Amino acid sequence: MATDLLAELAGARRLAVAHDRGDLAGRLDRAAAELGRGDVTVAVVGEFKQGKSTLVNALLRTDVCPVDPDVVTAVPTVLRYGREPTVTLQVPSDDGALEPVTVPFDQLSRYVTEAAPAAGARAPRSVEVRLDRRLLGAGLSLVDTPGVGGLDSAQGNLTLGALAGAAAALFVTDASQELTAPEVAFLRRVLERCPAAYCVVTKTDLHGEWRRIVELNAGHLAAAGLDVPVLAVSSFLRLRAQARDSTELNTESGYPRLVELLRRDVLDAARAGARTAARAELAFVVAQLRERVAAEQAAASSPAAAVTLVQRYAEKQRRTRTLGSWQTVLGDGIQDLTADVDHDLRERLRTMLRAGEELLNESDPRDTWQDFQAWAAREASAAAVDNLMLLARRSDELAQAVATRFDLEYEGLELDLPSPEPGLGKVSELDVDFHRSGMQQFLGAFTAARITYGGFYMLGAIGALFNVFIAAPIGLIAGLTLGRRLVKQERERQVQQRRQQARTELRRYVDDVSFHVGRDSREAVRRTQRLLRDEFTARAAAVERSTAEAASAVREAAALPDDQRAARARQLAAQRAELDRLA
Amino acid sequence: MSLLPEVRALLDRALAGTTDPTVRAAIGDARRRLGEPLRVALAGKVKAGKSTLLNALVGEGLAPTDAGECTRIVTWYADGPTYAVTAHLRDGGTRPLPFHRAGGAVRITLDRPADQVDHLEVRVPSARLRRHTLIDTPGIASLSTEVSLRTTAFLDADADRPAQTDAVIYLLRHMHAHDIRFLESFHGDDLAGGTPVNTVGVLSRADEIGGARLDAMAAAARVAARYAADDRLRRLCPVVVPVAGLLGAAGATLREDEFRTLAAVATLPMADVVELLLTADRFAGSAPERRAALGRLGLFGVRLSVRLIREQKVHDSADLAAALTAHSGIDRLREVFAAQFVGRSEVLKARSALAVLDEFLDPDSAPAAEAERIRASAHEFVELRLLHLLRSGRLPGTQAQLAEMDSLLGGAGGAAYLRLGLPADASPEQITAAAREALMRWQTLAEHPFSAKELRTAARAVTRSCEGLLAAIS
Repeated sequence: MATDLLAELAGARRLAVAHDRGDLAGRLDRAAAELGRGDVTVAVVGEFKQGKSTLVNALLRTDVCPVDPDVVTAVPTVLRYGREPTVTLQVPSDDGALEPVTVPFDQLSRYVTEAAPAAGARAPRSVEVRLDRRLLGAGLSLVDTPGVGGLDSAQGNLTLGALAGAAAALFVTDASQELTAPEVAFLRRVLERCPAAYCVVTKTDLHGEWRRIVELNAGHLAAAGLDVPVLAVSSFLRLRAQARDSTELNTESGYPRLVELLRRDVLDAARAGARTAARAELAFVVAQLRERVAAEQAAASSPAAAVTLVQRYAEKQRRTRTLGSWQTVLGDGIQDLTADVDHDLRERLRTMLRAGEELLNESDPRDTWQDFQAWAAREASAAAVDNLMLLARRSDELAQAVATRFDLEYEGLELDLPSPEPGLGKVSELDVDFHRSGMQQFLGAFTAARITYGGFYMLGAIGALFNVFIAAPIGLIAGLTLGRRLVKQERERQVQQRRQQARTELRRYVDDVSFHVGRDSREAVRRTQRLLRDEFTARAAAVERSTAEAASAVREAAALPDDQRAARARQLAAQRAELDRLA
Repeated sequence: MSLLPEVRALLDRALAGTTDPTVRAAIGDARRRLGEPLRVALAGKVKAGKSTLLNALVGEGLAPTDAGECTRIVTWYADGPTYAVTAHLRDGGTRPLPFHRAGGAVRITLDRPADQVDHLEVRVPSARLRRHTLIDTPGIASLSTEVSLRTTAFLDADADRPAQTDAVIYLLRHMHAHDIRFLESFHGDDLAGGTPVNTVGVLSRADEIGGARLDAMAAAARVAARYAADDRLRRLCPVVVPVAGLLGAAGATLREDEFRTLAAVATLPMADVVELLLTADRFAGSAPERRAALGRLGLFGVRLSVRLIREQKVHDSADLAAALTAHSGIDRLREVFAAQFVGRSEVLKARSALAVLDEFLDPDSAPAAEAERIRASAHEFVELRLLHLLRSGRLPGTQAQLAEMDSLLGGAGGAAYLRLGLPADASPEQITAAAREALMRWQTLAEHPFSAKELRTAARAVTRSCEGLLAAIS
């Protein structure tokens, strides 16, 4: 199927070149490249110690992800296809930008596990591993996410943030117990961000009751109204099957079903999106080419209509130059969007600040400070991730609005143009108006999320901002002999003092978060604006050029001697037929 | 006068001094509790293995267990002349309930919606329950962080809050210490008011850590050690014991036919054994009696048993039961339990009773002042409070000083040899010598002008403990 589409793209490209439309040929080249590139990301997520890294290992039949009974993965690991196995760390430099650092393959566990950070070295933000595996070669990339801190923590939120770019999520939970309430809540949030999720029950080799657990889990998911298929696997059996080269064990491990699902449901579904986008591009280009061919053909086959046609195209050309209200929509939209997203972030942080102060008022920061930091990091990352999601959604809507406006404008072009005289059979086919459906489909290729999030773990810095330690003053132990109430008063005073200190820290932290997230989100808005502006400007230029060329082609065709005109008409009919075959 | 009679007398006076029926009922309750066994709650998240551990501790398969969530009502297991089940209703009434025993477990038939029942009380003739009542609680499924932040308030230096229980065993699954829910495992409710002096942590389902391989218990011990080194955790409970509840329960109730089933597996050729024990499915699917054995021992228990039988380390069911118990870690839990709770049960009970007075009496009344006086003067209380401060990280001093203070104050158990860090068979002479030496050391510290004020005060209390040790010997 993909090859047919590639052939069609190549066919259209030949025609574009023949018509001297380098701009259109360029568009087709990009579409074809996009189609072949398609890197489909699947994120492996779940609680601590459920077997995520083991699952990735078993899936790819490797031992590259470090596994240990107690130590955990602390850094997201991306596994992609590469003929030569390599490991690249993304290490933040002083200015916050990420720098790739290549390390020896067998050193991976030194960098990705928790116990790892070598003294003095900066902890990597993420790690990319390239491996030569069929599943990866098919265009899949897997992300092993850290289970540190649980689902409902800063890290869990960052994982959610990264899901925006993923085509699917594998939620890993082991067969020792049914899904818990936090796990179901996390899955719900996963589905808000990611087109598909699968619940994978691991460690079926260890638990005789795993079928019950699978059943219970399916029940819980159905009760929660979540459309998440449940699969059961045993990574242990899969790895053993590999060691013994046994198909039977492999089947028993449950992995073949998972692989099949990844290939069929995930890869193909993601590919379908890319194909739709390429088809839309093809339709756009063909419509542009057809405009000129059809106009010229009409002029060549019925010279009587030529005068009207020349007028019509002159008028159309004039109007095209005055168009551009989509630019206003874009400009206004960006302004609204910036204000709303900004307001949203401020509101979220204000709520967080209020809740944090309430919490501080109810506890003694000396005892709860560590938990409070975790809480604050979680709330801040949730605010940032939700804010970015709003930004992505609004960008999508804006792109829609701009596209619709663009459509309306270019469709309206023809509305009150002098109509060709009735009776001129061929001319009625002339209404090659702007390809509306094609335009709307462009949005399929526009993934706001990808532009907004700008890569993995952009938010990684948030967790690291909050590292203040409130020193615990020594408590009075006079209470051993003194009256308790006296001691209580003194203690109360100290607690108040610590609360004040903690509140100041919290405000400073919120300010920092606001600054970082605000900067990232402004950056994302700029990217979005630039992308939409460039895209539609290019399209407008293409349309204008098509119209201009149609106008001059009509003039030239009308001026041709009769015999040449008939030959030209036949030639054009052939070209028209070819275009019709394409789209 | 020793502590309990003193507290009892105080409660009697308080009872005589009030006519308010709620106050009278509460104080009456507190008075009765002084004579009853220590109440120990088993708390922890859902599916942490509370019921299994309870069975292992009692040595009988009393509490029903299941792969899905099972315990839904707070259930007390107490010693009694015959088996009997009573429902304590929310409206204060009590009524007997019908029950039947299925494979040892007490299956209770409720005659009303569960939310009308406050708790169930199961009476069982059991020597193990004579010294303490065990309370099985439903798991804490999901809690917000806000709760967790509030829970840590019970760290407050003298959190003598009234609670229905005197001591708590908290069960933790294998978790990450950065988990925001980590400490929530320690959140009980009104029922389980745990403080560092009456709490023992258990790393439960230890046999499942690291894929039920034969070194699972060693991995679990590493995890437990990591937990115990965590500052926040140490403030909540000083000891974390890894326990494989399933092994413990099976060790206590292993049957001859189960041993024969396992022994038969052990006689198979090695290759077959390996194949059979590869997955739970294979083992369970090969014969019904094996399925039953798997349900009782878990995959780790089966693997361990077969290996022990093959290597001729055990020869009959009694041997195997003893070996399973030894591997389960339940003995160590019992030791810790005895040292932390049983040896200290008087003061823990007195503490619970005084907390009731605090709650119900006007702070300016005479009995309240008397309660205050008992708290401040009874040395048991001073030790308890000092331990609390110590473990909450509120005392200055070097690591070594603090560790010694902890054991001298009875942190590892009240017996003289435990306090002095001597072997169990230490002679009275050794004990006297060690106690004298400690007394001197702490006296110097208490009088040293450079010691921090808090340390001096604490050191004085420690010298009193040492004097107590010497007095008890002579």
